[in-house]
Amino acid sequence: MTNRRSFLTGAALIGAGMVSRAGAASLPEAPLQPAAATAVPPPPPTGRPFNPVVTLNGWSLPWRMKDNVKEFHLVAEPVVREIAPGMFANLWGYNGQTPGPTIEVVEGDRVRIFVTNKLPENTSVHWHGQILPNGMDGVSGVTQPAIPPGKTFVYEFVAKHAGTFMYHPHADEMAQMAMGMMGFWVTHPKDPALHAVDRDFVFLLSAYDIEPGSYTPKINTMLDFNLWTFNSRAFPAIDPMVVRKGDRVRIRAGNLTMTNHPIHLHGHTFEVTGTDGGWVKPAARWPEVTTDIAVGQMRAIEFIADNPGDWAFHCHKSHHTMNAMGHDVPTMIGVDHRGVAEKINKLVPGYMVMGEKGGSMGGMQMPIPENTLPMMTGTGQYGEIEMGGMFTLLKVRENQARGNYSDPGWYKHPQGSVAREWTGELPPPSTAPNAPATKAAAPLKVKRNAPHRH
Amino acid sequence: MSALQRLKPRHAGLALLALLLSGCASFSQDGGFGVVSPAVQSRTGAETRLLRNEDDQRALGKLIADKLAQELSADDAVQIALLNNRGLQARYWELGIAEADLVQAGRLQNPGFSFKRSHGGGELEIERTFTFNLVNLITAPLAQRIEGRRFEQTKLTVAEDAIKLATETRRAYYEAVAAEQGVEYSRQIAAAADASAELAERMRKAGNWSKFDLAREQAFYAEAMAEVARAGKASTASREKLTRLMGLWGADTGFKLPQRLPELPASAAELQDVEQGALRNRLDIQAATLETQHTASSLGLNKATRFINVLELGVVRERKGEERMRGYELSLEIPLFDWGSSRVARAEAVYMQSANRLAETAVQARSEARESYLDYRSSYDVAKHYRDVVIPLRKQLSDETLLRYNGMLLSVFELLADSREQTAAVKSYIEALKDFWVAHATLEAATGTRLNNAPAAAPAPQKQAPAHDHSNHGAHQ
Ligand SMILES: [Cu+2]
Repeated sequence: MTNRRSFLTGAALIGAGMVSRAGAASLPEAPLQPAAATAVPPPPPTGRPFNPVVTLNGWSLPWRMKDNVKEFHLVAEPVVREIAPGMFANLWGYNGQTPGPTIEVVEGDRVRIFVTNKLPENTSVHWHGQILPNGMDGVSGVTQPAIPPGKTFVYEFVAKHAGTFMYHPHADEMAQMAMGMMGFWVTHPKDPALHAVDRDFVFLLSAYDIEPGSYTPKINTMLDFNLWTFNSRAFPAIDPMVVRKGDRVRIRAGNLTMTNHPIHLHGHTFEVTGTDGGWVKPAARWPEVTTDIAVGQMRAIEFIADNPGDWAFHCHKSHHTMNAMGHDVPTMIGVDHRGVAEKINKLVPGYMVMGEKGGSMGGMQMPIPENTLPMMTGTGQYGEIEMGGMFTLLKVRENQARGNYSDPGWYKHPQGSVAREWTGELPPPSTAPNAPATKAAAPLKVKRNAPHRH
Repeated sequence: MSALQRLKPRHAGLALLALLLSGCASFSQDGGFGVVSPAVQSRTGAETRLLRNEDDQRALGKLIADKLAQELSADDAVQIALLNNRGLQARYWELGIAEADLVQAGRLQNPGFSFKRSHGGGELEIERTFTFNLVNLITAPLAQRIEGRRFEQTKLTVAEDAIKLATETRRAYYEAVAAEQGVEYSRQIAAAADASAELAERMRKAGNWSKFDLAREQAFYAEAMAEVARAGKASTASREKLTRLMGLWGADTGFKLPQRLPELPASAAELQDVEQGALRNRLDIQAATLETQHTASSLGLNKATRFINVLELGVVRERKGEERMRGYELSLEIPLFDWGSSRVARAEAVYMQSANRLAETAVQARSEARESYLDYRSSYDVAKHYRDVVIPLRKQLSDETLLRYNGMLLSVFELLADSREQTAAVKSYIEALKDFWVAHATLEAATGTRLNNAPAAAPAPQKQAPAHDHSNHGAHQ
């Protein structure tokens, strides 16, 4: 959970400069989060009450109340994010993680946010979606001078509208966002009963291009990313969204990648109840099972989790549910390797045939470059999941206690409710009526069910 | 009847002197090889001999047969060349010719004896004459001294030629071994290209690739095959050169060369003062020194005996491309008009010429020694760089390529392309290693010494082309 680190000790300070002691003395603490697990926040200790959100593989930033103002302290700094066990990325973030901590306030709160820049370059923070005084909007050069390395700036405004927001820099924009500078912001309604849900999950969509075997993203990549993440985590390392059957569930997601993501939920229909512009009036809500989140947009979806089970929840762009993979690798499907495989093996002793039957590794585990996630990975109760990236599960259980987000394990399917092999008789093969006789075109040799050569 | 020509008792002493003189010069036991053989052996590590008769031939035949029965080492090749190269044997016979000249020079012309009987008018006249070449008697010691030097010089130049042949053979040996290895690696490159092309054909058949992609892979293969043929040509040429130097023909040309060049020694030889060493050890320097001494004594001779023409000594010098000639001529003159001063001046000029040529030879030897030492050291560094840096990095690249293939980040075609490149790097290493051993042989020749880190007679098998490690398949999730 949250490690509280006194900003005054300064021991862990990195970056171009130090905040002056006199200045620091009046600052609230800047807590640090070293772990990438989901940290379920406690009910608010001070200020107006609200129902905290659960940041997938993230946390919410503690605050202090001073003269009726909620004071937060963000530290922009280089961080090492564990994208999945065994894979670490050199990124930039806030308070030890990327995305930075979720800031949760209540509609009407006066908010004062100290931002200390421990990056090697100027930064700023834009409060995406907030209606605030122009000078607090965080567009460096336009509404404020950029925050130089080592300096602390303070932003102060009133969180006027309840809703789903985010924060990110508006300075050296493409580098800083490509390095992971982003965070979630939730403004809760004054009345906790308004829009109340049982479970409220939040995360940001982000993408990185980290060459296999390296640690730092290629920030100049525009579209050809190889890591597609929820909150800078890739499946199988994205925590499941665990709910109790019958819970009203809200999932809020913001897109800070360079492409849209059609986010799809299995087993339920949902409604889009909010955008970054606010709450959608009930009469205007669309039922959907997939909602496209365009770049820079936020969506809140809601549904009743009435269908027990382990339900896939993922981006529907199939490459986005893969981890690092070669985008220039030719298709090998249907290529007969007999004879030639032995030749290659003589030249490259570690070689084994792959891809002739598709992209699946067929359970093979082979060494791959360091700090690289397998393209598809994770094993479920019935075998290989063969997905990665923007993929996780909604786990709906009968008796998941309120406030309990711990993983209940695999769903136990009722007897006879799982797809199974048909062992009965098969009808003779039939052809479509009036179909022209297919000419034996290319001598296509597709080898099926051949044992996987090693 | 001439009193002068009549044998008189007082002339008997002179004849005796002549006989004594001639006794000084006789044929040596070894025909000059007593100098040549150790000089060659110490500088090449192999023995050399003059083939005199059928027994020698038979012994040589057996030696060659023994050596060719197994894999030929560089020393074996040098040994065979030193004994069996007919050009060198021909050169050896110059020793015999020089020695014969020397012996001949020491011998006085046979005295002449004539008998004349005439009668007429009842008178019988019998004339007996005993003639003896006095001039010969006077010039013989000079001639002998001159021929003696010439013989010494011949020994040196013959030995030098033998050493040159040994060096050339050693170089040709390394070239031939490396060329055969080159063929092997070219074949490996072609095999990778072949696999690529074959797989490309399967890709095309399965409908996954265009004609364009297929043609590209096939072009790689076609070029690789051309390279195999080219490597084969180079191998034949270098092997034939070695065969010629060893004087082999017929069935003997089927000799076996080792599959690999000797390993790079642990360290390069450190030579303290290569120039001094070269001046001390090189036979061409010694021959040039002898030549200069020779002309110096001719000069002295000219000064002492103005009436004996010794100018021809050393004047006829060895010229490249022409037949080797070195001769002299002696004649005694009666000083009526020429008191010999111009002849002395000429002898001085010849001496100065010779002294300068000696200096030139020395400068060249120094330069060659420096150059070949630097070349040797940098060849060592290049080969070592390949062995210790380039090849391990290539291996690492291959390992990483395989990891990327495993992760479906690269295709099998990149794997095969890497295999081609890796083999090409090993081929470059072989080339660098060959350069080193050639430089090694050249340095030995330029300094007239054997280096202590000569290759082992039976080279350890060289490391195979680095291969992908197959052993560490494991979980990586
Ligand atoms: Cu997507």
